Amino acid sequence: MSFLLTAASAADTTVSLTPQTRILAALIALCFMLLILDLIRRDRLQERYSVIWFVAGLGMLAGAAFPGLLKLVADLMGVRDTNVALFSIVLLLLLGLALNFSVIMSRQAAQITRLAQERAIEKARQQASESNGSGEQSLESKEQRL
Amino acid sequence: MRTLVFIPAWNEEASISAVIADVREHLPQADILVVDDGSTDATTATARGEGVLVATLPFNQGLGAALQTGYLYALREGYDTCAHLDADGQHPAAEVARLLAEVTADRADLVIGSRYVNPGAEAASDDYKPTLSRRIGTSVFRFFLTLATRQRFTDTTSGMRAANRKVMSLFSENYSPDFAEIESLQLAVREGLRVEELSVRMLERAGGTSFLTPVRSAFFIFKGVVVLLVGQFRPRQAEAER
Repeated sequence: MSFLLTAASAADTTVSLTPQTRILAALIALCFMLLILDLIRRDRLQERYSVIWFVAGLGMLAGAAFPGLLKLVADLMGVRDTNVALFSIVLLLLLGLALNFSVIMSRQAAQITRLAQERAIEKARQQASESNGSGEQSLESKEQRL
Repeated sequence: MRTLVFIPAWNEEASISAVIADVREHLPQADILVVDDGSTDATTATARGEGVLVATLPFNQGLGAALQTGYLYALREGYDTCAHLDADGQHPAAEVARLLAEVTADRADLVIGSRYVNPGAEAASDDYKPTLSRRIGTSVFRFFLTLATRQRFTDTTSGMRAANRKVMSLFSENYSPDFAEIESLQLAVREGLRVEELSVRMLERAGGTSFLTPVRSAFFIFKGVVVLLVGQFRPRQAEAER
């Protein structure tokens, strides 16, 4: 019976990050931001897509450096466990990012389609002017129209 | 009056020549453009050999993108009217000429060739006979499109159409790449264009097989209904410009 009571009393106090996890999180955040800087430096990532990742890295770092911040957010959300708050925030952020990428992908798909169409039309137009120059049947049909 | 007849084709080397000959016979005044949607066979070469214009897309992008290419070409090159038909030989060019006549007479902006409008007509032996899954899909789309547009459509997925310049400029900007036929009808009606159906004779396909299997059909129908629903909430272009 006594272990159940201790478990219940432990759940009453808020659960937060241990110093060990904070150091680990800070290290990961720093590595992550360095990786992003390196990707930009080597032209593997365009700046406009890097901002969001850089902000995410800064957020990770801030969360690790100031645990009070995370606790504040957890309290605002009405969550006792700061880890749950952390997970739900990250999950929502990733969901938003995935949606953002779908939007970008759709735009780029439309752009690629239009590019392909422009090229196809240009070729057909070229063919039309060539056959007009050499006086084939399409010239005849043009004369018929005139 | 300049007319462009375009034929979207994807791996149709077997039937494209016959379709071109058919169009030449029944629409001698029209320019012909084959839109090759990234075929891996000799569709482009065959069509070029027939002496018609060919717009070759560098990779397969779906019927919608191919049709839009045709509308865009017609718009840019200043054609007054345009029409398109399938490359598999299902659509007789004589019927396309009838659709074009409606547009030329300015009775409609967009005319759809329907294989269903007049079911009482006597069926010839080579006439089009729809399969079961095709019939189910057709009635579902018919129901929802009629609901969405408040106009009766019987053949929502028909790929035989004739159009004027209003339609060209609308479709060259807005044309769903994977739900071409249905969404375009909804769009045209929403933009206040006169859309009309005309009963036409269609034939059994000459070459190739339909891409529809039962599972695909079910998914196709589901997707179509979602697309129609979303389309109801799109801003109208005429309103957006105001």
